[in-house]
Amino acid sequence: MAAQDPDPAAEFRRNESWLFDTTAGAYVRKTAVSLLTLVVFAFVLFPLYWMVVTAFKTTAEIQQIPPTVYPNDFSLEGFRLVVESSIQAGGYTSLFANLFGWQASSAIDIDILSLVLNSLKVAVGAGAIALVLGTAASYVLSRRDFVGKNALMSIFLASLMFPGTAIMVPEWELVSALGLFNTHLVLIFIYGAMTAPFVVWLMKGFFDDFPDSIIEASRIDQCSSIETFWYVIVPMARNSLIASFIFAFLLAWNELVFALTLLDNSRYTVPPGLLTFVQGFNTQWNVVAAASIIISLPVLLGLAYIQRYFVQGLTGGAIKG
Amino acid sequence: MTHLTVDGVTKIFGDPDKDGVVAVDELDIDVEDGEFLVLLGPSGCGKTTTLRMIGGLETPTSGEIRFDDVVVNDIKARNRDVAMVFQDFALYPHMTVRENLGFGLKREDNGMSTADVNERVEEVATMLEIEQLLNNKPAQLSGGQKQRVALGRAIIREPRLFLFDEPLANLDAKLRKTMRTEIDELQSEVGITSAYVTHNQEEAMTIADKIAVLNDGALQQLGRPEEVFNEPANLFVAQFVGSPDMNIYDGVVEEAADGVRVELDGVSFELPSDALDAEVPPGGVNVGFRPQDFYQTGKRRADGLTFDVDIRVIEPVGTKAIVHGDGPMGDVTAEIGEFHGLSAGDTLSLSIAPEHVYLFDAETEALRKGRRIENRASVQSQSQSSESDGVEI
Repeated sequence: MAAQDPDPAAEFRRNESWLFDTTAGAYVRKTAVSLLTLVVFAFVLFPLYWMVVTAFKTTAEIQQIPPTVYPNDFSLEGFRLVVESSIQAGGYTSLFANLFGWQASSAIDIDILSLVLNSLKVAVGAGAIALVLGTAASYVLSRRDFVGKNALMSIFLASLMFPGTAIMVPEWELVSALGLFNTHLVLIFIYGAMTAPFVVWLMKGFFDDFPDSIIEASRIDQCSSIETFWYVIVPMARNSLIASFIFAFLLAWNELVFALTLLDNSRYTVPPGLLTFVQGFNTQWNVVAAASIIISLPVLLGLAYIQRYFVQGLTGGAIKG
Repeated sequence: MTHLTVDGVTKIFGDPDKDGVVAVDELDIDVEDGEFLVLLGPSGCGKTTTLRMIGGLETPTSGEIRFDDVVVNDIKARNRDVAMVFQDFALYPHMTVRENLGFGLKREDNGMSTADVNERVEEVATMLEIEQLLNNKPAQLSGGQKQRVALGRAIIREPRLFLFDEPLANLDAKLRKTMRTEIDELQSEVGITSAYVTHNQEEAMTIADKIAVLNDGALQQLGRPEEVFNEPANLFVAQFVGSPDMNIYDGVVEEAADGVRVELDGVSFELPSDALDAEVPPGGVNVGFRPQDFYQTGKRRADGLTFDVDIRVIEPVGTKAIVHGDGPMGDVTAEIGEFHGLSAGDTLSLSIAPEHVYLFDAETEALRKGRRIENRASVQSQSQSSESDGVEI
């Protein structure tokens, strides 16, 4: 049989397919994958693109139909209005008038800077609460055995699946009973509680993989428990801690419903603050977009800097060797 | 510099009254100042638990652990002033080698300045030849280098005790032998009392001043390596120590004119009374032959048991070979030289000297007769008295 066969390698070719084993097939596959990537890319990034483009359009161009894909009439009007509004609402009008002889006057009455500061306060507070409670809880859950441990872990998981809005009514009653309406503290508590279960799960994964012998080595090296925690565990957990903090921070930064309902507009955080730029039929979308960009930039820059820790922390590859 | 005593120590994991697991059972070990103790036994025999109790990482359920006659049961690991080398090295991954070495010194309340610590770190690094690695992180080191850093971390503090928990198990075979020698040298140099856990009998034999053989949490034998090898307390020790494994056969001891006669399946031989240290009562025994004690009949003195073996497999190991074959009493494993003329299927005649035979009680498995090295030496020196002067093994 082998003698009749003109191709001695025919035996190896029985499983070949056009798509996976020919050069042409490889090009087809690569093209298909590239196209799909492009589509996903556009799908994800178009909203961001639209925000940026809108921010640089004039009010007139925004209302044009059909809409323009890029600004024909490049304008910083949106940014000017945001800045003027902030100066006016922040009470710096006279300062600017005296210093630069420039009279800021705006129809909108929102101070971007105070929105950002409020949000920072809430987000950092929530992050800290989630981190401290979540890490302590996960350490115990990982290191000790006790009755009801699995049930507790399941409850933590369930609380992540629960939509936060479902328990708003009882939460309102609680807030009212504590007399915490219209305070940032209440948002810190709520956001901290919302993210702590996630932190527990994330950090438990880390502590489960944490080698006992390193803790024992530190005990032998004459560390007390506190010293072991501070000099050995915290530095090794850095990536996971950062990932947990970012997660809690972002949730607090983005959360709208609680902030909108529990605060009045003098104490608004960023999401409800942005919402007040949307004013019925009269919304100036370029102003909204400009405000969004100004607000996103600091967070974006911060995250870009620590995102590598975030990824490492989530994937848990912190300990090797 | 510590005299370590483990006195009647028992460790039970779980509830002692219900389904607790006895990890260590009434263990008594005494280690003199500067001695090197090896805890040897199969997995799960309680050797690591014992070491951890000595280090203070576990608390004994009962019994006492004493350093220089001071009971340390209640003293925490961090206050015992011991140093431990772990199987996985347990280096702090976020610290450089320098920081790893200096960490214990910095934590210690010893009034050392940073410069003092650094000086000591460099001293130890030079001693272990890792001075060029001081600024590397553990992840950048090879296994042997990590091992050296772990050793350095232990010796830098000049502790009362060194504890080694299978420190060589994660290294490759060649490195294991090198590091074994280094640990031995290092310990002799600094003279600090040491306890070393391993399941590798060869490691134990080479490194130990004293071996404690454990099985199922109970001490089987405590003695010098040659005692453990030549006079194993029982069948377990005899089978665990020595490689290849000892050949064991069921036999019966009968009285004979001079000494005793041992009947095996298909063969029998006599043990003259001068080969016996104590009287061996008639009855069932387990007979043990070390593979190394066999020799090809005719190559040496010809008294003692001689029998034929059908060779199944020959495993050459350099100048010697391990031969597996079928003898009249069952499977036989022998380690012999001059094997080049042999091949599988051949018949080989093997002999063993009476003083090399081990006998164990069939019921209690306790030793009845051990391997006597001095007897053989005297016989040899009688037969070759002219040339053996001053030769010592």
